[in-house]
Amino acid sequence: MNKQLSVFFAENEWVKPALGFLGLFVLCIVFSPVSSKGTLIFLKFDNLSNVLRQVSEIGIISVGMTLVILTGGIDLSVGSVLGLSATATAFGLMDWRLGFFGAIGVALALGAGAGFVNGAITSAGKIQSFIVTLAMMTGARGFALFLSDANSRNIGFGENAAPESFKIFTESFFGVPFPVYIFLAVAVVAAIVLRKTRFGRHIFAVGGNQTAARLSGVNVALTRTVAFTVAGFLSGLAGVVHAAQLYQGNPNDGVGFELDAIAAVVVGGASLMGGKGSMEGTIAGVLIIGVLSNILGLHGVEKDFQLMLKGAIIVAAVLMQERRWSFRNKGA
Amino acid sequence: MIEFREIGKRFTGTVALEGVNFAIERGGVYALVGENGAGKSTLMNLLAGVYPDYEGEIRVDGEPVRFRSTRDAERAGVSIIHQELNLVPDLSVAENIFLGREPTDKLGFIDFRKMRRDAEAVLADFDFPHSVNAKVSTIGVGWGQIVEIAKALSLEADVILMDEPTSALSENELTRLFAKTRELKERGATILFVSHRLKEIFEIADEAIVLRDGKYVGRRTIAETTREELVNLMIGREFFEERRDVDLDAKPAILKTERLALKRGGAPLLRGIDFELREGEILGVAGLLGSGRTELLKFLYGELRGETEGALFFRGEPYSPRSAARSIRDGVSFLSEDRKVEGNFAEQTIRFNASVSVLDRFSSFGFLDEKREKSAVGELLEKLNVKMRGDKQKITELSGGNQQKVLLGRSLMSEPKLLLLDEPTRGVDVGSKQEIYDLARDLAERGVSIVAASSEIPELLMLCDRVLVLSAGEQTAILDSATADSRDVLQHAFTNV
Repeated sequence: MNKQLSVFFAENEWVKPALGFLGLFVLCIVFSPVSSKGTLIFLKFDNLSNVLRQVSEIGIISVGMTLVILTGGIDLSVGSVLGLSATATAFGLMDWRLGFFGAIGVALALGAGAGFVNGAITSAGKIQSFIVTLAMMTGARGFALFLSDANSRNIGFGENAAPESFKIFTESFFGVPFPVYIFLAVAVVAAIVLRKTRFGRHIFAVGGNQTAARLSGVNVALTRTVAFTVAGFLSGLAGVVHAAQLYQGNPNDGVGFELDAIAAVVVGGASLMGGKGSMEGTIAGVLIIGVLSNILGLHGVEKDFQLMLKGAIIVAAVLMQERRWSFRNKGA
Repeated sequence: MIEFREIGKRFTGTVALEGVNFAIERGGVYALVGENGAGKSTLMNLLAGVYPDYEGEIRVDGEPVRFRSTRDAERAGVSIIHQELNLVPDLSVAENIFLGREPTDKLGFIDFRKMRRDAEAVLADFDFPHSVNAKVSTIGVGWGQIVEIAKALSLEADVILMDEPTSALSENELTRLFAKTRELKERGATILFVSHRLKEIFEIADEAIVLRDGKYVGRRTIAETTREELVNLMIGREFFEERRDVDLDAKPAILKTERLALKRGGAPLLRGIDFELREGEILGVAGLLGSGRTELLKFLYGELRGETEGALFFRGEPYSPRSAARSIRDGVSFLSEDRKVEGNFAEQTIRFNASVSVLDRFSSFGFLDEKREKSAVGELLEKLNVKMRGDKQKITELSGGNQQKVLLGRSLMSEPKLLLLDEPTRGVDVGSKQEIYDLARDLAERGVSIVAASSEIPELLMLCDRVLVLSAGEQTAILDSATADSRDVLQHAFTNV
């Protein structure tokens, strides 16, 4: 039985972060503040759906980040690209009069384009993605400031403004906010792609052993470029969601989002060396960080203390990943 | 005296060693032999402190010991040379030899002059052709192995464990290593080594200790045993060494080169390559370390590109290899000599590793049909006799030889017409070696043409129909292995050096 269990853990690496999330969830229930009516505030439907809404932007970005990290790369530009996309969405709706699909299309295309440039330069120039995406992080932020003249643009509705259809992003269906559905759809599609497609295998191959991948006939440059392009596209999508949540496009938004996404991916069990990790793990990582912020917020813990605690939790989670779970005695 | 008492070791789900009992005296050379997965490397690693977690007890000179780390073992005079290189590629030879115990001056800075001098001193016996300041990444696998050996010697250990120290060495490097080994023995050192080459064992060892399936099965004094007896102990069945006899002249040529030369950045890598490979022929490529064996194979696979002269024909058409991906589509497969760096996807399963090059075959619209993949991989790996728990097991949980069979499986998945094998039996036990030979012959019977490079000349003469000899990148002979012997091959290999 123990042997089977340890084999199961070895073969299903996403189980650890998933169990971590469940454990945290149970802890949150135990330590949940209680309302005057005696119900657990943490477990209230509104609270839980609020947690999901809050993590959906970082969640969408983290899905793309997972693909990039699995290929052995890193994408530092996702936060800036989100800011650029949010800005483009607002200007697209309000100033350029592109309509619902036009504005969103431009924002997504900018995201995907930035990702493609990241991937193409990384592959063709054989430059570390850390450097390339660091440059894109600066460049995309600059482009967003250029587009907007360094002003944020509010989104209004009406005759000469944004179409009513754009309000879909702030609506809820069955009590769950629309961005949560986007996050879940993106995550599920990405999980299926990673597990069930040739492209998914190639991602793991490129990140696991680039030379062996090339010798096995895998198109390393293409695989890497597609991964970066998808990551950029998803940052663009997160930017649209971001603009819709705030009813504005601010070129200065999204600062530091790349670090939150990397943290979620790593807490989810991925290795920054590439070739190891899973979409399920990343989703667990996103939820762990989201639930943690929520319970601390419910208890009224100050932001400064929250950040320190979050830092400690990230390190602890990664340390737990690294330890091999053993069900045997260690011997003498 | 070093005693192993009731030694047992388990890895996730598999028993590597069980109830191993034996003892060796100080001042002898002992060969640890056995098939793939017999537990040889594991046993060495226990003594060297790599795995502190095991059952049973090891005693050194009557004292029970349990080394917690390799450093711990080194302090007690036990040093190990690993099967796979454990060098830092971007550090120099000298820095690698003294890694972690660099000589320092009074101020605590590294005393590079002393380090270089000491490194040169330990390498002196090996006719090391490179500077000790050269980066390890530039000196090649074979010399890397020598550096690894020098590192162990510089520790002045009196128990030296060698896990296949010779697998990357050519014949003349071997001679030097053996001379060194004898010298160490005369100084009273105890040497325990793993090797799959029986010839070496008979040349250098005093005694052979045989393991099979994680258990101790017996020991033989080398002077009083025979190859056949040892092999039978290891595998428990008969061992054949025979040449096949076919008429190849009647078959069409698959690959043909005319005065082919390859340069890269102006540096000549290959020249005068002139041969015809017929359908169903096994062509050996022999040569000293650095003679261009790997380069020739990688060129034919499209992995190594440069400026070419001369002509190359594949299945009658002029051909220029472009990339691995295209070669696979054209029916060419390649097996690398370096499993760790160029072969394995270490974090992945056996199935992933076996099928990665032919995922097209199992996918429609990019989606994988895992059922078909599983059955195709399963069928092939069963034919290759891979010992595994299931195809979801991580490849690195397998023994070296079984990993090699999985990678060979990967090369065969695309059903190649031309198979390029670089050191296909490196780090592989006798039983698996035989299986790989049988498989190569079987493939040849069915019309697959094979080019096999190896540093083991007898292996090439036994397996191949003809042997192409390279010397410093130049083809110096093509010999018919029915009439040639090792001396002929060596003579041509030394032509340009």
